[in-house]
Amino acid sequence: MRDEQSFAQDCAEILREDLVAGRIDRRTFMKGLLALGLLPAALGGSGAFARAAMAQTAKPKEVVLANFGGDAVPAFTDAFAKPFEAKEGVKLVIDGSGPSTGKIKAMVDAKKVIWDVIDSGTGQAHQLGQAGYLEPIDYTIVDKTKLDPQFAYKWGVINYYFSTVLAWDSTKIQGTPTWADFFDTKKIPGKRMLRRTGLAMLEPALLADGVAADKLYPIDQKRALAKIASIKADSLYWNSGAESQQLMRTGECVMGIMWHTRANILTRDTDGRIKFTFNQAIVQPGIWIVPKNSPAGSTWAHRAIRAMQEPEGQVLLLERMGNGPANPAAAALVKPQFNAANPSAPENLAKQVKFGGEWWMENQEQLTQAFLDMISS
Amino acid sequence: MTAVAATGAHSGRRFFFANERTAYWLMVAPAAVLMAAFYFYPLVEVLWISVTEPKPGLDNYALLFTSASIRRTIVTTLRICTITTAVTIVLGYVVAYVLVHASPRAQRWLFLGVLVPLWISVLVRAFAWVTLLAREGLINTTLRDAGIIEQPLALIWNEFGIVIGMVHYMIPYAVLPLYASMRDIDARTVSAARGLGGSRFYTFRRVFLPQSLPGIIGATVLVFIFSLGFFVTPAILGGGKTLMIAEYISLQILDLLRWGLGTMLASTLVIFIFVLLAALAKVVDLKRLFGAG
Repeated sequence: MRDEQSFAQDCAEILREDLVAGRIDRRTFMKGLLALGLLPAALGGSGAFARAAMAQTAKPKEVVLANFGGDAVPAFTDAFAKPFEAKEGVKLVIDGSGPSTGKIKAMVDAKKVIWDVIDSGTGQAHQLGQAGYLEPIDYTIVDKTKLDPQFAYKWGVINYYFSTVLAWDSTKIQGTPTWADFFDTKKIPGKRMLRRTGLAMLEPALLADGVAADKLYPIDQKRALAKIASIKADSLYWNSGAESQQLMRTGECVMGIMWHTRANILTRDTDGRIKFTFNQAIVQPGIWIVPKNSPAGSTWAHRAIRAMQEPEGQVLLLERMGNGPANPAAAALVKPQFNAANPSAPENLAKQVKFGGEWWMENQEQLTQAFLDMISS
Repeated sequence: MTAVAATGAHSGRRFFFANERTAYWLMVAPAAVLMAAFYFYPLVEVLWISVTEPKPGLDNYALLFTSASIRRTIVTTLRICTITTAVTIVLGYVVAYVLVHASPRAQRWLFLGVLVPLWISVLVRAFAWVTLLAREGLINTTLRDAGIIEQPLALIWNEFGIVIGMVHYMIPYAVLPLYASMRDIDARTVSAARGLGGSRFYTFRRVFLPQSLPGIIGATVLVFIFSLGFFVTPAILGGGKTLMIAEYISLQILDLLRWGLGTMLASTLVIFIFVLLAALAKVVDLKRLFGAG
């Protein structure tokens, strides 16, 4: 597997670390795994082929949700699987074997699809959708009033929010730095940290360069890459969430661009030495996608997605993993102590910049390569 | 010797087989079928995709000469692998030399030291090196506290750090073939050379070293080929700034869905390795080198 880790993958890992550190018990961990859709493939794989033959609307034995488990995570069971089972009488099984783009392509090509719903991202959704590997999202089943329609795409729909934030070492920097400070190594010396794919890294560069938040898209790629290249000698690039945490915790970097979930853990673990802000952070949608020829059929895959739109489950996921609820109605249910690190809390949403999914869908592929070429040359 | 013995043992069974060749092929067949189905067939498939996707032809291969990004990746890979191999062989040679000349008791401990790293995950090892080499890492803080340096040394986030991590991983792969070849050297030749008045160094250079040459060549090839496939270590210890060919391929296959390009690079790598081995076969006996016969 490639080393670069997706946000969804990282969520599973955080839960596992919580378990090891004793912050959650094994029961909760298993629940989290289930909720994330991460129970072993073996549980979901059996009978997949038989189910594929079933009629679209006939009740399937189970719906399989694929996620990046590895060691992973039952937060999704409590949050998503249980309510779905209670409501529809169909099991929702979580398979944590890691649905990479290449794997989905291979499955659909071989006509042996074992997943119904997949935890994905905007780029992957577009790439697979355009290539004919996905069912378009059926908005007669999925409820557009329970999400921000800006994140309801043809090939995928928002499942939760996460955010790409600025974190800093408060022993080396006074006050709250801005993106401009991040790219100004003369004003604040010390190493910077960015994610190793260009995703949501170009926006901070442009904001630092003086582009207004509402004028970011379409992104001026050349300008953004040049800005990032200008601090290359002082930059490190992380592959996985754990790596980003390590680089900040050990004092290797004075500032870093990272996921809010990891930044929040750092703040907790360092007793506030590492701080982060939602100011001009890039708030992004995680995405559900539905592969072609899914075993439970497209209708049931979409019914599962609809069930997971209920605010209660989403709030539970926030409490367990820090992922922001996608349903605006969830805001009223969130306990106050969880709001500070909730990217979709109304007061935090107001401070952040909304990720331009449309632009990224068109450009992520060539950009991933261009970004890597830039940092490795 | 063994051939003669085998013939003798089998002569009574000639009844079952038309001749010894048939028996030979029958015994090899299961393994051969397994290899064909699970190794050569997929390999051919990979080769096939590289000349058919996105459209038939050699367009993917033309990228080897036209794409600056691919060329840079290849040059980086070859450079890092060559340095890694050179350092690994020198260090591995020293370890193997000590191993061969150690007492059996010491040998056991030395072997443990060589083999234990093999069982630790490459990811864990990379992170361990980060802990040692980083700015606020053990080495830099110790040197600073001792007043030897004022600014931390750049031990990591560059090719220096990558080579350290890769050499560490590769040492056992160099030590084992080197040890095997040194063990076969007749110690009496060294004693004879010394007895004839050769100095320690002269004896080593003219008697021991030439006899260990097959081991050196074998270890070099093994380590070099293995290094070509690295990507976790370079990605982490290089601070994300180094892109090697294996990661480049994985990126194309898993993320960018450019399977034509990915399989082209994979095929090129395989062909390159075969050519390397074929060239080597002209110089040394490969069978003997990798322990057969």
